[in-house]
Amino acid sequence: MPEPAPSPPAVTVENLTKVFKSGLGKQAFVAVRDLSLTVQPGEVYGLIGPNGSGKSTTMKAILGLLSPTQGRTSIFGKSSTEVESRRDVGFLPENPYFYKHLNGLETLMFYGRLCSMSGRDLKEKAREMLVMTGLEDAADRRVSGFSKGMLQRLGLAQALLHQPRLIVLDEPTAGVDPAGSRKIRDLIMGFKERGITVLVTSHLLEQIQEVCDRVGIMAHGRMVREGRLEDLIAVENETELVLADASPELLAQIKTLIETQGGGAKLVRSGHSRTTLERLFLEATEETK
Amino acid sequence: MKRHLQALVVLLLLGSVKLPLEESVTQHLRAAKLLSKPIDLGIRESVGQMSFAAALGGLRSLIASITYLRAYRAWENIEWAKVDSLFQITTRLQPRYQNYWDEASWHMAYNAASSYLYNEDIEPMVRGKFYADYIQRGIDILNEGLRFLPDDARLWNALAEIYDRRVHDPKKAAECYLEVHRISHNDRYARFAGYQYAQTSDPELWQKAYTLLKTAYYKKQRQPSVIEQIKNLEDKLKLPLMQRIPEKRQALEQPQGMIRPTQ
Amino acid sequence: MKYSSFSPARIWTLASATVTQLVRMKILAFLLVFCVIVVGAGFAFPVMNPEQQLKLLKDVSFGALQIFSIVIAIVATSLLLPRDLEDRTLYTILSKPVPRFEYLLGKLLGVLVLIGVGLILMDIAFSAVLWLRQTMVLAQSIGALKQEGVATPEAVAQLNEFVGKQGLTWNVHFGVLAIFLKASVIAALALMISCFSTSTLFTVVITFCVTIIGHGQSLIREYFLQGHFSNVIEKLLSALLAIVTPDLGVFDVVDNVINGELVSSASIGLMLGTTALYLVGYSVVSHLLFVEKEL
Ligand SMILES: Nc1ncnc2c1ncn2[C@@H]1O[C@H](COP(=O)(O)OP(=O)(O)OP(=O)(O)O)[C@@H](O)[C@H]1O
Ligand SMILES: [Mg+2]
Repeated sequence: MPEPAPSPPAVTVENLTKVFKSGLGKQAFVAVRDLSLTVQPGEVYGLIGPNGSGKSTTMKAILGLLSPTQGRTSIFGKSSTEVESRRDVGFLPENPYFYKHLNGLETLMFYGRLCSMSGRDLKEKAREMLVMTGLEDAADRRVSGFSKGMLQRLGLAQALLHQPRLIVLDEPTAGVDPAGSRKIRDLIMGFKERGITVLVTSHLLEQIQEVCDRVGIMAHGRMVREGRLEDLIAVENETELVLADASPELLAQIKTLIETQGGGAKLVRSGHSRTTLERLFLEATEETK
Repeated sequence: MKRHLQALVVLLLLGSVKLPLEESVTQHLRAAKLLSKPIDLGIRESVGQMSFAAALGGLRSLIASITYLRAYRAWENIEWAKVDSLFQITTRLQPRYQNYWDEASWHMAYNAASSYLYNEDIEPMVRGKFYADYIQRGIDILNEGLRFLPDDARLWNALAEIYDRRVHDPKKAAECYLEVHRISHNDRYARFAGYQYAQTSDPELWQKAYTLLKTAYYKKQRQPSVIEQIKNLEDKLKLPLMQRIPEKRQALEQPQGMIRPTQ
Repeated sequence: MKYSSFSPARIWTLASATVTQLVRMKILAFLLVFCVIVVGAGFAFPVMNPEQQLKLLKDVSFGALQIFSIVIAIVATSLLLPRDLEDRTLYTILSKPVPRFEYLLGKLLGVLVLIGVGLILMDIAFSAVLWLRQTMVLAQSIGALKQEGVATPEAVAQLNEFVGKQGLTWNVHFGVLAIFLKASVIAALALMISCFSTSTLFTVVITFCVTIIGHGQSLIREYFLQGHFSNVIEKLLSALLAIVTPDLGVFDVVDNVINGELVSSASIGLMLGTTALYLVGYSVVSHLLFVEKEL
């Protein structure tokens, strides 16, 4: 147990294991296996992993939507089993959907009331959120007519409405066009500046790379790598050389130079440049197979 | 899983606690005549499974209405046996609705009985038998209804009328009218009972009739028929002049008076 | 922002969302059908005796009211949870500081409000037709008496009494109340069943079965309490049935209300009490089933 700090971690996950029982006779499925992670206040934490690695399951456990088979999760020191733990958190689930008979504004009003907001304050806040997520034109349109990206943005507005200290985003950019996803990335940057804690999953690694302070990589329900982005990507004894417009002759010369005068240095890899996180991601998730 | 067990325990506990409560609520509501007695299971074959289920499901009154409509149709087609059996189902579904008993007996004692009596296709001897049988059926239906509704003035009145008009049994008719009077406190029916008793051939009953009519007389019910009947009875009972009602005395003292002499 | 662990405002928010959700499902189209039935029943069969005409009108209308309320209670309630789960609206709702029992109460309240408003509207329509019909029937019958020259004050008074007893009284509305209470119990039951059921169809079928058994529960219970069963298996089975099903027959006062029996305040109290017992009991069980439900 960590000593009682003045401000508890925004999110703690301790030895979380989640087993899904799928009916009698059928085999149980372990979606998350002995997972631990901590997100400090003010931090942007990215959780990445291949499809089905248990990211969403972990988030649902943090929000108390699923009860852990083993282990504990908490938000700002309050166990996720307590309703009160959800007071300071906004959640955007993957592929969010809303009551289709409500329009954009009504949807936000509905969620606002659930967060004990009311009156003019709520209405102003809801309008502000619509503007912020670029949905001001859709305020009077029924949700049933929203496109995927609009739903995603409405989900984001709903998560931010009550000004939570922690925002949990499950694939916020799924189905959003490049301009939109750029906007979402900017929003996350904005949260960081305002000291709001963010826990985010995404497949778009460049984005994670740009905004996250720390990342965790999950595979098959386990955490396979975790740490500060720079630390993870940096490999002590390796040096990267990125060339543009290099001719094959130049590359051949470099190769021979290393072989003849390298003094023990080895060429580990050559080829087209990849983003570093992507490489790490592929390596990390493949080695556990 | 633990919660599921708790849920089951709560459900069973609630279930066991509620049994006696339900029982006493049911008894109370039955005593208040708001709930009917459990439905007669034997009725299942006669109404069919669907209707029986509906009758159990709180639609008993509706099902009764439907069998009533069928009986009504049978009546229009002059199928007396069918009218009888459909009304039997109807009354069994809602034995506490007096109108069903009333109408069922009316169909039997009046409509069916007369229809047989005037049916030229049937042997005269048999006609008379049918006539009597159907009147009796009407009486039986009312008596059965009165087992469920012993204090129903309307049924007693219907029975009185059958005894009066169909059976010509003034003694029984009078007794039924007295029941109507007992329930409704309407003096009119005491008078009716008096008229009926007056028509019997038993002097003791004449005395009863006289008492009833005199009561009416003293309650200022002095319709010509009452006065006439009283005078009639005073004659039959051979009462001394001084005990007779003033109208009679006047009539005797001045035979050419305003009031029409008796006889 | 002060957080309270129980908030009627939140429940009401959920309930009103449920009502609009159900209204948008066109569930109230029933109301129109009902009005057609009532008017039809009110003016069909003009040849029958006046009392019977009014009774038939009431029978058909109350029958339609019962069917409406029970069908809505079962179908609408069974739809609610699976729909929120499928649409994933449950995730966003429950990730707000909303206790799960508040969510359940909100849903239940929403269904009850819908049924209640529906019943009130239908009661108004039905009362209007009944009153109209009663006035017409009375005028007709008195006219007939006059034509026969037997319209004595006594006869008219008696006719008034007969028709009045079958006509519109306050008592009729207590019958509607009883129907509402029965529907509430069924809705709570459906919600409870949908908390552990895995499909809407299963919920509908099971609730429907329990509703049917519930109407005959008093028979089973009385047989059991009076020890009519000698067989041990029969005994256990009947006890179990009587325990797990509610006695819906308790609310079947309508038949006798139609017949003109007066509903005393004690009886209303008893029915309300019984309803409260079932609602609280089933809500507790629903909560226990729902609180750890995997979403
Ligand atoms: N309710 C459930 N019942 C059974 N299995 C489940 C359930 N929810 C998730 N799973 C399984 O758990 C595993 C992890 O699922 P999860 O949704 O957490 O993956 P993910 O990392 O979010 O994947 P993606 O990137 O595709 O969103 C998957 O194999 C999934 O099939
Ligand atoms: Mg996911």
